Amino acid sequence: MTTVSDRPLTSFPSLETPVFNLGKETQPHRQSRIMVRFHNIQKTYSNGAKALINLNLQVKRGEFLFVTGPSGSGKSTLLKLLYGAEKPTDGKILVDGTDLAKLKGDRLSLLRRRIGVVFQDYKLIPRRTVYENVAFVLWAQGYTRKEIRRRLIPTLRMVGLQDKAECFPEQLSGGEQQRVSIARAIVGTPPILLADEPTGNLDYDNSQQVIKILKKLNSIGITVIITTHDEHLVRMSDNPVVQLREGRLFHML
Amino acid sequence: MLKLLNKSDYLLRETFLGLKRGGWMNWAAVSTVTVLLFLFGLSLQVSWQLEGLLTQFGSQLEISVFLETGVQADSLAATVEQFPTVSDVQPISKEDAWETLVDEMGIADIEGATSQLNGNPLVDQLNVKARDSEDVSALAERIAQLPGVDEVLYVAEAVQRIAQLNQGLNWVSFGITTMLTLTAIAVISTTIRLIVMARRREIEVMQLVGATSTWIYLPFILQGITFGIAGALVAWGLIVGVEEFIHRLLAQQADFIQFLADGLVLPPSKLVLLPLTLLGLGSSVGLLGSLFAVRRFALR
Repeated sequence: MTTVSDRPLTSFPSLETPVFNLGKETQPHRQSRIMVRFHNIQKTYSNGAKALINLNLQVKRGEFLFVTGPSGSGKSTLLKLLYGAEKPTDGKILVDGTDLAKLKGDRLSLLRRRIGVVFQDYKLIPRRTVYENVAFVLWAQGYTRKEIRRRLIPTLRMVGLQDKAECFPEQLSGGEQQRVSIARAIVGTPPILLADEPTGNLDYDNSQQVIKILKKLNSIGITVIITTHDEHLVRMSDNPVVQLREGRLFHML
Repeated sequence: MLKLLNKSDYLLRETFLGLKRGGWMNWAAVSTVTVLLFLFGLSLQVSWQLEGLLTQFGSQLEISVFLETGVQADSLAATVEQFPTVSDVQPISKEDAWETLVDEMGIADIEGATSQLNGNPLVDQLNVKARDSEDVSALAERIAQLPGVDEVLYVAEAVQRIAQLNQGLNWVSFGITTMLTLTAIAVISTTIRLIVMARRREIEVMQLVGATSTWIYLPFILQGITFGIAGALVAWGLIVGVEEFIHRLLAQQADFIQFLADGLVLPPSKLVLLPLTLLGLGSSVGLLGSLFAVRRFALR
């Protein structure tokens, strides 16, 4: 099992070299300390299921927030609202100063480039190698080959997969696949990282490793929102926690 | 510029990947386009050739004007020559005509023949050449109105037949082309849609990581256009092959058919126009087919 790289964080290209594009569009909001703001959010699915009820939440820039709650309590819905996969029935969501409700088409695509998402089911592309899976994000955003190569190696090293670059997803363990999906989420150096049950399918050691990576990312300034139903994981860390129960939000800490 | 190069690098790679994954479906798409463009190109070519034939006939076309008894050919020739659509007038006196006729009939004794028929039975005649095949019938009618003209004859029928044939052919080929175009669009659209479906996971991930719709779907559209262009090239090759084959066949035929074959040779401008037309139609069919295929996905 490969371990998380212990190299100094400066090897991660994004922070000291302002090559990434979060600078341009977010400039006016950079002073704002609030990264994510939910305002009176209601979400009712078309089958009548009430996923979120009157939800208010603020996440500060650079925060590491746990969202806990049993399955079906609305955790995934909360994240989906954030990356625009679902639209709120009512209320307002601001991400990095941008109102999500008004975004459609290409402008939504541009916002998504500022949000990294780690999925519970990894969502890796089966017939592409680890390298290609991660590079995919940068291809999709129109980066040059050279720039992609420059970013990819440090990113893979960050999640400890530099030796597995040419492997296909099915040749990897669950923990490794999850780390590929983390690499994919952060290679575009987004200011926000969303992780939907990133440890849901992993054993204890692998979960610890994933959390360690996320913490490391948080320590270099990325705002991390992570959902989990694993109370043990939450208790081990001293980060703020909110709990969702039947669509209502409770602040725990 | 560099950015464009980089982008085209990605787009070409994705397009190629799509083609590789399309497998046999590529064949279905390309061969439908080929059949469409082969028939279309062939009928276009035949139509051009018939037009060429028409002009060739037209240049051979003479109007024979028979004058009333006693009217001198020379007296009318000057009048007819003034008509703007006339290129040449040849007056033939009845004596000359009679001499030629008797000669052709193989009668040696011209005096005897004349006296037997109570004099020369022929009338003076004008051979008028029109400038353009389209002018022939109008010119003939106009000449017929002239005083002293008895009868006007020209080979109108053959020309009209060919013109009608050409027109009929044009309608048939228009019908077939329309139907086949729709079929080709449908097949390309289905092919592309299947490939889009097969890559749905990738597309979903692309959407989630912030790729714009254009970026996601442009490779598929390029793929459709590739089908069209490939079909056009194959169809053009086939048409050139068929052409070559017919030419070889005609080379061994009698003189008259060879004379016809000369009319079938197209001017260089048409030789260039044909592949360009095929490429144009092919790529638009490909473009439309792939646009139909991705429209539904892209609009979501």
